[in-house]
Amino acid sequence: MSVVKTLVHLFLPHESNNQKAKILHSSSLWLIAVFVIFSQIIISGASKVFPSVLGCASSISPEEVIRLTNEQRLQNGLNALSENSTLSSAAQAKGTDMLNKGYWAHFAPDGTSPWSFFINFGYRYTFAGENLARDFCSASDAVNAWMNSPSHKENILSPNYKEIGIGVVQGNLAGSDSTIIVQFFGARAGETVASIPVAKAQTLPSPSPVPVAALQIQSTPQPTIAATTVPEVGSASSILVSPFKTTKDVSLAVTGLLLAVLSIDLIIVRRRRIVRIGGRTLAHIAFLGMILAVVLILKAGRII
Amino acid sequence: MKKFARDLPHFLTLFGILFAGFIGFTLFSYDKGFQIAVAIATASSYVIWGVMHHFLHKDLHFETFIEYLAVAILGLTILFSLVIRG
Repeated sequence: MSVVKTLVHLFLPHESNNQKAKILHSSSLWLIAVFVIFSQIIISGASKVFPSVLGCASSISPEEVIRLTNEQRLQNGLNALSENSTLSSAAQAKGTDMLNKGYWAHFAPDGTSPWSFFINFGYRYTFAGENLARDFCSASDAVNAWMNSPSHKENILSPNYKEIGIGVVQGNLAGSDSTIIVQFFGARAGETVASIPVAKAQTLPSPSPVPVAALQIQSTPQPTIAATTVPEVGSASSILVSPFKTTKDVSLAVTGLLLAVLSIDLIIVRRRRIVRIGGRTLAHIAFLGMILAVVLILKAGRII
Repeated sequence: MKKFARDLPHFLTLFGILFAGFIGFTLFSYDKGFQIAVAIATASSYVIWGVMHHFLHKDLHFETFIEYLAVAILGLTILFSLVIRG
């Protein structure tokens, strides 16, 4: 069979494929699904074997996160938060603690609360909050994701906070290379809050391990400054390929190819008035079109 | 064209299901669990729509059902790989 005949057999309705492109046959669709699964296994394996090649390429700077956060506050008529180096050190220590203990949560498995990092670094607060993000490829993606989540947005736009500290750490988190952003908010004890038109913050008698953006009002006990060594923010500029982007490219290629073949099939079948048993091509186009739209809008990163 | 006009209510229903799925994915982009649930619900609705549509047209065959299932599983595989990877 010549190359042309093979291509016609694969992509166009023809006698050889029972008037339906071979790639649209159910057996081929199952094979493509298996191919997508295998590509994921290969990407996962490669990212472990070659962590410096396949990983999350990140150039997130704490300053950029603070700038974007303040941009959101200013747009909503709130005062900009000032950067506090103690809060930044505490946030950095929280991120390092997550990597060392291998957890992705507000509260550590041993019960360590986010607020203990504030206290350990001698930050006495009346208001404190924490937002977490991981595996975002840019600061703007992380801040946008927080702003799309009501509970995280509440933290960013809370009038109770006066200061902010950002920690960005990179390392292996539970088996995968990750970039974690820890965003700490605070208002120091003794400071008056500039404007609290509506008290949105929850008053909690004690910290509770809720898996959402935490926000708590609590006065600190006597400050105890821990001599914790804060590691430097890592650099991952050498990472060449993002697993998420590779997955997205594979998904776009598969969906795009199928949509193109389905569209051609729709036209040819109508023109030739071919009658055949099978699903509605227009329905398949609509479904895969929705998948394509979702693939296009999906971005890497998780928040809690 | 006449046939499509007759099927219009069916296709409007399908477009509504898919649009709702897309909106769910967009609005709850911060909740991976919800996104997976939306993907499963949309894919299941798609297969059910296919079965109902062909049943009403009296041309429902097992091969047709398998075809809708294959397209739905392929779509789910693509979405899962991205949601989990992200």
